[in-house]
Amino acid sequence: MTRPLRVWVDRRRCVGNSMCEALAPAVFRLNANRQSEAVNPAGDTEAKVLEAAENCPVSAIFVEDAQTGARLFP
Amino acid sequence: MGMVTLSDDMFTADVIADPYPYYGRLREEDPVHWNELYELWVITRHDDVVWMTRHHELFSNAVFRNDPRPAYPAIDESDLGLYEYVRNYQADQFIQHDRPEHLEMRKVVHSYFTPRAMEAWRPFVQKAVQELLDAAEFKGHMDVMRDVATPLPVLVIAQMMGVPAADRPHVRKLAEKLLNIGRGEHDRMKPLTEGMQGMIDYVSPLVDERLVNPSDDFISVLAAGEKKGVFTRHQVLVNTSLLLLAGHETTINLLCNGTLAFIRHPDQWALLKRDPKGCAELATEECLRYDAPVKSLQRLATQDVDMRGKVLRKDDRIRWFISSANRDPQAFAQPDRFDITRDPNPHVAFGSGVHHCLGATLARVEGQEVFKALAERFPSLHLETEVLEYQPSITFRSLKSLPVAWS
Repeated sequence: MTRPLRVWVDRRRCVGNSMCEALAPAVFRLNANRQSEAVNPAGDTEAKVLEAAENCPVSAIFVEDAQTGARLFP
Repeated sequence: MGMVTLSDDMFTADVIADPYPYYGRLREEDPVHWNELYELWVITRHDDVVWMTRHHELFSNAVFRNDPRPAYPAIDESDLGLYEYVRNYQADQFIQHDRPEHLEMRKVVHSYFTPRAMEAWRPFVQKAVQELLDAAEFKGHMDVMRDVATPLPVLVIAQMMGVPAADRPHVRKLAEKLLNIGRGEHDRMKPLTEGMQGMIDYVSPLVDERLVNPSDDFISVLAAGEKKGVFTRHQVLVNTSLLLLAGHETTINLLCNGTLAFIRHPDQWALLKRDPKGCAELATEECLRYDAPVKSLQRLATQDVDMRGKVLRKDDRIRWFISSANRDPQAFAQPDRFDITRDPNPHVAFGSGVHHCLGATLARVEGQEVFKALAERFPSLHLETEVLEYQPSITFRSLKSLPVAWS
């Protein structure tokens, strides 16, 4: 069962380490400033999105259940 | 054209003692500066450093593999063979690689150091700090360097490596030899290579063992990388040592430079003392910014790059100065002010981009716990010397000692 996610990257924190893009390239992409953006929250499985968030070295990625608003990460 | 009349000697006593005016003048007058004496570009503005760290494809980190120029400061001629050993050793560190290899190597070790995983180390760090401070309190005075800052990171790293308690003094001795990586003495190659080879000799049997019986320690993580074919055995051994080479001196400097900043700014020390737990996080960020553990890092241009009207040629050496970027008035209001409430604080003490410091969260936890504990236990902390000396390095901002006392 897949549920829609709301995923965003805090630009004040993002250092462009790009591990999120390496782990879930369909979800995260670096912009012209080489900071990550969640371009397509539905681009990969929830598990992959959460793995990317977990592996952000500066805790810049936030994940919510788009329907209930429940925080899934952090 | 604003010509800089500053000397290109970055190792003079005044620049080592206080690098901020020197690099600050370069930042104002010639932010992309060709240093004739050391044949390298000196980059000093915050926006340039951020841009360069985020464009890793233009600035190679495979420096030891590809830069044929000699060690600086100079070393004894008889030690050139030892320097070759150091170069080959360093070249196998995962951080001394570019993409695509770097990404595959970093993936192996990255998950070990996530913020959540490092947060789980906080109780261990707290206990280690309290034990070190107990021993100091008993004496009534201490050298923050020798008594807290030097042993703490080794205790943590030894635990991460899964080193049995009985072997810790041996690892600590090797760690102290490895500190020569950031020193300037002409005869530093001998102790450094002894430390490097000592680590290889010590870690080798542990790797053999972890390949058969994997555990949750860092050596098992690297050994799994060897099994997957990402690392050679030499790379596993070298990257185990990297924990100490990258995580020891840097943490020492954070703890000592931060403590000194508090001693020199009684108003900020008072602020921390009022609410140690509440202030520790932002205060640690400000310590990282104000007197950064790493002053500068080196890269090699992979192609010609235009910057501010200058052309950095392919294979040119580049050094970007974190300690100057962190004092750039374009990025920070009142940059020379030590302000532990500063927020946001976009310092570049850990770099940025794909090579952003792997151990950043661990360093933060150690800094937070030490500053908090000092404020709680030694509120009257003061310097016990008039003279403070720094190691003659342009990479590290390292005090030689930090004697303090309390009433």
